[in-house]
Amino acid sequence: MQCKELESVLETQGLGQLSQDARLHLATCGACQGLVADLDTIISAAKALPAEVTPPDRIWISLRAQLQAEGLIKEPVEVADPSSWWESFTAWMKPRAFATVAAAALVLAAAVYVTRRPHNPSSGVAKNQPAVESARPAQPQVTASAPASSPSPVNVRPKGPALSKEKDLAPSPSESASFTLNQAELDVPNMQLAGNSQVDAALRQNLRTLNAFIAECEQHLKQNPQDEIAREYLNTAYQQKADLLAAMMESGRGDN
Amino acid sequence: MCASSVISGTTLGATRRIRSISGAATGQLARQRPAQPVAWTEAEAIRLAQAGNAAAFEFLYQLHGRRVYALCLRMVGNPADAEDLMQEAFLQLFRKIGTFRGESAFSTWLHRMTVNVVLMRLRKKSLPTDSLEETLEPDAENSGPKRDVGAPDLRLSGAVDRVNLERSIEKLPPGYRTVFVLHDVQGYEHNEIASIMGCSVGNSKSQLHKARTRLRELLQEEIRQQAREERKAAKTPSGSLE
Repeated sequence: MQCKELESVLETQGLGQLSQDARLHLATCGACQGLVADLDTIISAAKALPAEVTPPDRIWISLRAQLQAEGLIKEPVEVADPSSWWESFTAWMKPRAFATVAAAALVLAAAVYVTRRPHNPSSGVAKNQPAVESARPAQPQVTASAPASSPSPVNVRPKGPALSKEKDLAPSPSESASFTLNQAELDVPNMQLAGNSQVDAALRQNLRTLNAFIAECEQHLKQNPQDEIAREYLNTAYQQKADLLAAMMESGRGDN
Repeated sequence: MCASSVISGTTLGATRRIRSISGAATGQLARQRPAQPVAWTEAEAIRLAQAGNAAAFEFLYQLHGRRVYALCLRMVGNPADAEDLMQEAFLQLFRKIGTFRGESAFSTWLHRMTVNVVLMRLRKKSLPTDSLEETLEPDAENSGPKRDVGAPDLRLSGAVDRVNLERSIEKLPPGYRTVFVLHDVQGYEHNEIASIMGCSVGNSKSQLHKARTRLRELLQEEIRQQAREERKAAKTPSGSLE
């Protein structure tokens, strides 16, 4: 075999599958040995080059814009990261939780308003509370009538005083509304409400004003439980506070 | 031109090889974007991309972008042109993705488009002697490797580093360069290169051998040039540079 023939073999078969003749020639020809050694060196060096190179992010950004411009992309490009589904879920829930708190406060405020309204519109403020009080004993009577149909000792037992006691221990709707709003308010102090410090200060000032007004109404109602106007003011103040808290939390959520 | 002919299909070996490439790329993608690659196979992403799903486009881009960018970079030698060519290749791919029927591997299809885009660009920029036609069907007298019979036997062993290898690759004619990068750098087999380049397996082997021997010459010249510069620097007095 001659050098040209070996090269032809290398061209068609590569370096890995040399015939007996080719190996014999290679063993005796220094020039071909040099050629094969150099080709091995080149192959090894080429394999050491990275087969993958990370492209700059701007290529995809530009490509995406082009795809959108040409209408090839038929939906928003944002890819939801499934690994952070919990964060997405909580982020989705957070404003709804605040809205729920605000709505619950409003419902409670409405409940307070409805339950505390005088049952007899014609009666005066002073007469309303006794009317409510006189209605309370009626509940044990209803319960007491049950034994007629059911002889169970549990139902026969008079419940009037016990019920009355439970009612005394349970928070009133007004207190529940106040508690709910105070719980919601706990999140507010550490929250940066808005990017603008003036708006932030104004929101906090409004909250302080409302709190002071609510405290004043509550104090007044403790001393004068029959004062329906004060109760109405209090309910309105609760509603305003719920609205304000919802607005503050929404503002804080948006900025944080 | 043979490079623009239709890909007829891939062999089992080629398909297996491409799958392994996709798997590796998926692994890299999984490190970057944890859950998305697990959720989709390449076939699903292709189907979704055909329907215009943006995330599927991005998935395919992330899956193959690194290899395509490396190919472009090796072919043109500078990042700015490589970015431009990569974007053009993917744009063509996504424009035509609706026509992809899976007769060939998606990776092969993409690389073929990339090679065509790159060679088209190089043909516009280069001299007529560097054209694809000449490098794919070389003239035996002019395009084959030259062997200087009387030249000193300069061995490359120990003298080839990444810098002079990359510089020499850039000097290869585009056709040689493409086959060399695809085979020796990116690890494609000759049947895959034949599909990508639109030529025969034998032609791919021949091109590769000629690319290697031409590269040998270029590297020898590079090393000689370095040696000359070192000798020149050694002869130059230290104060004469100022």
